[in-house]
Amino acid sequence: MQWDWRVWRDRLVHVWRGSLRVRTIVLTVLLSALAVTVIGVVISSSVRANLFDSRRDQVIAESGRAAEQAQRIFTTAAELGDGTDVQATADSALATVQRSTTARYTALLRVPAQDVPRVIDDQASRDFQPGYASTELRATVIASDGTDVAWQSVAVDSEDGLDPGITTGSILDTISAGRYQLYLVYDLSDVQQTLDFVQSTLAFGGFALVALFGGVAYLVVRLVVGPVRVAADASEKLASGQLEERLPVRGEDELATLARSFNGMADSLQRQIRQLADLSRVQQRFVSDVSHELRTPLTTIRLAGDVLYDQREDFPPTTARTAELLHTQIERFEAMLADLLEMSRYDAGAVQLETDPTNLVRLVEESIIAVEPLAEERGSEVRLVAPGGYFEADVDARRIRRILQNLLGNAIDHGEAKPIVVYVDSDERAVAIAVRDYGVGMSPADVERVFDRFWRADPSRQRTTGGTGLGLAISLEDAAVHGGELAVWSQQGEGSCFRLTLPRRRGDELGGVSPLALPPDAEVAA
Amino acid sequence: MNARILVVDDDPAIAEMIGIILRGEEYDPLFAADGKAAIDTFRGERPDLVLLDLMLPGMSGLEVCRTMRGESGVPIIMLTAKGEPTDVVHGLESGADDYVVKPFNPKELVARIRARLRPSLPDTTERIQIGDLEIDVAGHEVRRGDERVNLTPLEFQLLLALAAKPQQVFTREMLLEQVWGYHYKADTRLVNVHVQRLRAKVEHDPDNPRIVTTVRGVGYRAGAVT
Ligand SMILES: Nc1ncnc2c1ncn2[C@@H]1O[C@H](COP(=O)(O)OP(=O)(O)OP(=O)(O)O)[C@@H](O)[C@H]1O
Ligand SMILES: [Mg+2]
Repeated sequence: MQWDWRVWRDRLVHVWRGSLRVRTIVLTVLLSALAVTVIGVVISSSVRANLFDSRRDQVIAESGRAAEQAQRIFTTAAELGDGTDVQATADSALATVQRSTTARYTALLRVPAQDVPRVIDDQASRDFQPGYASTELRATVIASDGTDVAWQSVAVDSEDGLDPGITTGSILDTISAGRYQLYLVYDLSDVQQTLDFVQSTLAFGGFALVALFGGVAYLVVRLVVGPVRVAADASEKLASGQLEERLPVRGEDELATLARSFNGMADSLQRQIRQLADLSRVQQRFVSDVSHELRTPLTTIRLAGDVLYDQREDFPPTTARTAELLHTQIERFEAMLADLLEMSRYDAGAVQLETDPTNLVRLVEESIIAVEPLAEERGSEVRLVAPGGYFEADVDARRIRRILQNLLGNAIDHGEAKPIVVYVDSDERAVAIAVRDYGVGMSPADVERVFDRFWRADPSRQRTTGGTGLGLAISLEDAAVHGGELAVWSQQGEGSCFRLTLPRRRGDELGGVSPLALPPDAEVAA
Repeated sequence: MNARILVVDDDPAIAEMIGIILRGEEYDPLFAADGKAAIDTFRGERPDLVLLDLMLPGMSGLEVCRTMRGESGVPIIMLTAKGEPTDVVHGLESGADDYVVKPFNPKELVARIRARLRPSLPDTTERIQIGDLEIDVAGHEVRRGDERVNLTPLEFQLLLALAAKPQQVFTREMLLEQVWGYHYKADTRLVNVHVQRLRAKVEHDPDNPRIVTTVRGVGYRAGAVT
């Protein structure tokens, strides 16, 4: 139960916060309902007072007239002499009163404690209850002289409960038989009916008004919030790269202004993005054009250099050495140009994977064999630890080989002749290759920059492989086109570890997990 | 007589340099700087091999290649720029036998030329029967009944390599070594494209090959898969 309630509350809070429309409509309805209620209460109470007052005045006037008539009957009878029956006179007076008023009950009660003989009996309508004339009213009536009419509000019994009513009281002087109090009880249920009708009309009108306000609020909100919604959708689309998105401009109002300025913003955004795109396209073209143009003369230079190099034994020593230098530098230049081209191809987004089912363990073995001569020369031993990875993964073998070549080359270069361990492992989602060396390592600041283009920790350090600082940048791109990751761990003096993780199936997400820890050498220490 | 090699390249320096290397290897170079000149020389001089740059002014290298292949089976080696992988495939599909990527070194170029000029054929003189085809090894000829099937020397060499050992499944690497003379990992697309071209000529239904069949995950073999 408790739980249910919370869910509902949360849902309501969510709707309240989430929709300007709901909030506006609910607030409008609540506030207008409050106003309508206050106004209704004021109106109905003033109507009530007015109705009651006028009916009271009417009742008092009527009672006054009736009392006067009755008094006249008594007076006339007294003037005619003693022969008349006092009781009969009283009866006729009462009858006259009953006839001439709309009172429901009448009562004629002797004023107590008089020294005249009692001739007339107290008379009252059958249902007249003594409570209809309270002691205060009686006291007032008894104290009054002939012309005043006193009154009081009472509740009158009726078939269906109590009705509001008024009791009027006045004094009659029978002359011969002493003073009597005349009470008339009026039923005000007709006033109440009128009041009820007025109230129900008011209530109905109030509801209608509130509903109307609600409807108006809904319309206004639709008119205002609708375009705002459209604008919000449009900016979302714009943000997601649909630069063509625009708002319709209608009329001259604030919403049209909003739409116009939105469109202006979108225009300038689109223009700038296009400019930037053009600029970077021009730049990429430039790089790739330059590399292309360089290649033609390089081909000739390369051929010429090789021809000279092949004949160096026939040259005098200085010329022979020159041919050798020429040869190695041409090779280096060529490698750089190839890297640059590869980078510009990635920048231009013109890279296509050519995947084949490849056994990664075998690929790693081949790569290790390929760097073996270099490793031997530098005194490092390269070991392979492969608990997993013995299956065919769909990869572009050329790119993976290039990554491995670079990682192994780097490890040998910076490995200080210590052993290098290559790990391969896999799980059901991914396969990972880690190259661990125990050489110089890198500072945390270096690690940050290690994948940057042309970045090298110490450009003057003695090099055997490549040396443009593009190697890892390209490796990173090579890993990324496979949907894979290249991660690094390094500590100064402890060595470095680069870990390549590839999804087993193309297009799978890695989610930052890898079959290998970084570094993975908890169990196999050097 | 020395083999004559037509060098088609619009860059005079490269052309001259290649000429120097070819002469050093006892070949006779001929030169053409654009597509039209290349076709003219090709028709007039009937060279033994063509080195063709794909980036040519005027007529495109691919077109030149297609025209030459339409007229003869002379070995064509393309000179391509590195990193345009689709170019290689287009070139091979236009009829080139092999390719060299610029910048290349002289030994590589000479090795490629040698492999194409002196194909290593299995030394049998017999006739080999495969499916409804008959291969006349000595006569360099393939017949289906009385009809002669026109193959380029490379296609002939490829078919013969497979047919000479019908029991054996050849991996692409084995074929690259036997037919193209590569002793290291090379581009397996060479094999794929040429098997396609060969099938188009020798199979009744190239989509459902019976003579050069694919062994999934391994390579190719001659005859039905058993
Ligand atoms: N295993 C490692 N240990 C220590 N430092 C390393 C290691 N691997 C890379 N680095 C640092 O990162 C730099 C960038 O490496 P990267 O492979 O990108 O370029 P490079 O090896 O210098 O040149 P190339 O482009 O030829 O690969 C290196 O110069 C080196 O300073
Ligand atoms: Mg490197």
